[in-house]
Amino acid sequence: MDISTALPILEVKGITKRFGKFVAVDNVDFFIRDGEFFTLVGPSGSGKTTLLRMLVGMEKPSSGELKLRGNRINELAPNKRPTCMVFQSLALFPHMTVGKNVEFPMNIRGVKDSDRRTRAMELLTLLHLNPYRYYDKNVTQCSGGERQRVALARALAYDPDILFFDEPLSAIDAQLRKVLQKELKDIQRQTRKTFCYVTHSLEEAMVMSDRVAILRAGAIEQIGTPDKIYASPKNAFVAEFMGEVNLLSIVATEPGKATWEANLNRLPIHIPVDPTLESGAARKLLIRPESLRFLASGEVAGNSIPVRIINEFLLGSRIQYHVEVVPGCNLTVERLREERTTATEATLGWEITDSQILES
Amino acid sequence: MIVTRTQKAGFSLYAGLLLLVFYFPVFCIIVASLSERRFFSFPYPAEMMTTKWYENAIDSPQVADFVGISLRIAGLTAVVSVIIGFFSALAYARYRWKGRKTFQRLVLLPLFFPQSVLGLALLMWYNFLNITPAWWTAAIAHTVWIAPITTLIISIQAYGLDESLEEAARDMGASRWQILTKITIPLLMPAMISATCFAILLSWGNFALSLFTTGADSALPEWLYARMTTGYQPLVPAVGVLSVMVAVVFVIILFGIISWTNRKSRKSIASH
Amino acid sequence: MNPPFWKKFFGPGLIGSLSATPFLLLMLFGFVAPLLCVVWFGLMPPKTFELLQAPTLENYRTIFEQTYFKSILWSLALAVATVIILLIICYPLAFAIAKIFRGGGYFITYAIVTSLFVSENIRLFGWVIGFMKNGVVGGTLAKYFDIQIDSLLYNIPVIILGMVYVYLPFMLFPLVLGIKMIPDPVREAAFDMGANRWQVFRKIDLPLSMPGVMIGSLLVFVLSIGAISEAKILGGQKVVTIASDIETEFTYAQNWPLGSALSTVFIALTMVVVFLTLSRFDLEKLLGKKSS
Repeated sequence: MDISTALPILEVKGITKRFGKFVAVDNVDFFIRDGEFFTLVGPSGSGKTTLLRMLVGMEKPSSGELKLRGNRINELAPNKRPTCMVFQSLALFPHMTVGKNVEFPMNIRGVKDSDRRTRAMELLTLLHLNPYRYYDKNVTQCSGGERQRVALARALAYDPDILFFDEPLSAIDAQLRKVLQKELKDIQRQTRKTFCYVTHSLEEAMVMSDRVAILRAGAIEQIGTPDKIYASPKNAFVAEFMGEVNLLSIVATEPGKATWEANLNRLPIHIPVDPTLESGAARKLLIRPESLRFLASGEVAGNSIPVRIINEFLLGSRIQYHVEVVPGCNLTVERLREERTTATEATLGWEITDSQILES
Repeated sequence: MIVTRTQKAGFSLYAGLLLLVFYFPVFCIIVASLSERRFFSFPYPAEMMTTKWYENAIDSPQVADFVGISLRIAGLTAVVSVIIGFFSALAYARYRWKGRKTFQRLVLLPLFFPQSVLGLALLMWYNFLNITPAWWTAAIAHTVWIAPITTLIISIQAYGLDESLEEAARDMGASRWQILTKITIPLLMPAMISATCFAILLSWGNFALSLFTTGADSALPEWLYARMTTGYQPLVPAVGVLSVMVAVVFVIILFGIISWTNRKSRKSIASH
Repeated sequence: MNPPFWKKFFGPGLIGSLSATPFLLLMLFGFVAPLLCVVWFGLMPPKTFELLQAPTLENYRTIFEQTYFKSILWSLALAVATVIILLIICYPLAFAIAKIFRGGGYFITYAIVTSLFVSENIRLFGWVIGFMKNGVVGGTLAKYFDIQIDSLLYNIPVIILGMVYVYLPFMLFPLVLGIKMIPDPVREAAFDMGANRWQVFRKIDLPLSMPGVMIGSLLVFVLSIGAISEAKILGGQKVVTIASDIETEFTYAQNWPLGSALSTVFIALTMVVVFLTLSRFDLEKLLGKKSS
């Protein structure tokens, strides 16, 4: 079944959460499709954790409605909801073994001893934990990655309609995190469960998700597939959030032209033609580091400016350069290793079509 | 976890009731201390209310003697047990050494020990050493019980002590003595002041240890006990209330220090 | 690379034991020696004040031949009753302080800590005034409800009330510390996976706060088994506890060796309970150090 046409399983309608005067989540609307990997992403303080806690029932929304398979669930306590969360701290029960942790939800439901054990063994195997080695192991003796898997196995043992994740990978080192991200995605495919993941890393969201919602100050900025968001970020906030991009402050002058306000210097540049853009309007211009290149003498580009190369960083097959346009205004350039330059002065160029005008 | 309003109200009601019961005896004593009658009965008419027993208590040279002895015991106990507690807190929480685990258990031992028996044991020990019990021998008894408490209080802060501060000082050429006086003691000062107050307060109210170890110098709680077990005397509640008031003054100082240091540490966290 | 030996000597190991020395000396002089003294005195012939005589087991024979076991049992029974009642009373309050109240928790804590500094005799005397004939309770009932009651004092329930009252802080605060150690997400996770409140309490709260429960119970047990004042002030002479037996031998009967032997039995009994419990729990955890 194609995920992009699946029916919504969870609908969020006008959800708001106020703490006193502070509005943590402001009138948020979205839905999660049955069987998709959905990710809420936003910087710290964007309200993503509060939103998540409302979805699982640990906070009560101040207003708005939550519907699970068409039924209102606002008033349902977490223990009555067919949803389950993997906590940032994982919240493994420190006084129980791995096996007992995984069996906990079945224990609560009164599943027979032997069935519980069989299921726990299955789940541990699914999570690449050898059940004969781990079943009787104490959770406090497990490594970070193992604990991660135990927490996921325990949540799956609850057999929830939707599985929520509150940045469970944030405390894991970068290398292991990449492995676990892929595993998580695999497990989601295999079990066909709906996953709703929360993270502050757009990169993490892009790797795993079918769809991503970007939160800022309690409201959703953009929602869509990773491809769509990457190709056309809605505004400068989303673009900046995607990682290292160049965002130039510009003021439109005439169609296709603008001045770049580079740290008190005003440089005339060419921009894509946008009929809605009035003269004098302030915008951001997005140029990806890989769209910038150093021009050979005589080479022509849509825009070209002289720069000084101040630093280079080797990133595997690519090289990143920091270049100074005017003092106090730097750009990031990313080129393949084969195109390495050793010069200190160069001419930087980019094509007009490689730049995007964004609301600031 | 969501706590509903009714649950919170239920818990508050329970806590409120418990506090009421908890302070009921204090209320009773205050009521009794203001009654003019020689034999207390409740309720008494408003015109029978008097502060005469307080005046008697304050004028009584006998009471003043007991107060003096109690204060002397409390003062000596506080000074000694805070000094000992400071070093043992470092041994308890700060330094890594071989016997540390055992030491940590040992520190708690006097606390988990019946005080009356400890008092008796000390009495026999003084007798064996041919020491005549007096106020200062009681102070030793109090110190045996209070030094573990000051150790624990200072340890809690010593656990939070950032080791790198001492290391940084050493790195910049400070000697062990300079580290102690310029880094460690100032950092642990709030805990030491709290510990001093705790020591004074606990010594001031202690009875079980004083009972056997003061010899001829009776402390205030002993005197009260002797009067209580031999029938009602209106002077007793008045002296009791006065003794509570002395304690309350120290408690206010103590809590003032605790909340001041809390606020200060919260501020320093916020500024990071 | 091995550090030079002198560095090892002045290293953290030595400074640790040096800092512990004043405390250890105090314990040696004020705790260990007196206890040895008690044990030794218990082996002296009855009614003597001399320590240098041939040891004998006569006092222990007296203890087992006479009815002292009765006061030991009374002390045990009173202590156990106090522990159980305090556990039931304090757990909900401790839970509320640790997990529910915000500022109010501090208020309750301060209010209860303050009571610790008032001599327990004074507080017990408050109950006497409250409960005696024509006391605050009796007088109020007589005047406003026309119910005549006699003194409520001098019975076993009132002794237990006194002990519960005096030792409440010693149960409450370890429980608060213990319950504070339960991570909130762990409770929420259990709740999230379908557990109801009772299941969360039984499977999560109780086992994870066990160190606090044990420490509190132990403290209260030891303090109340050695209690003298409650039985004397509130209980009259209704029951004789082991602690008052011991006191009698030292004061009224002037039989120090018998008193010492009784103390030794009593200490041994208490210490067995304390060591059994302490050896099973890591106390450092309670003081806020996560791992050692």
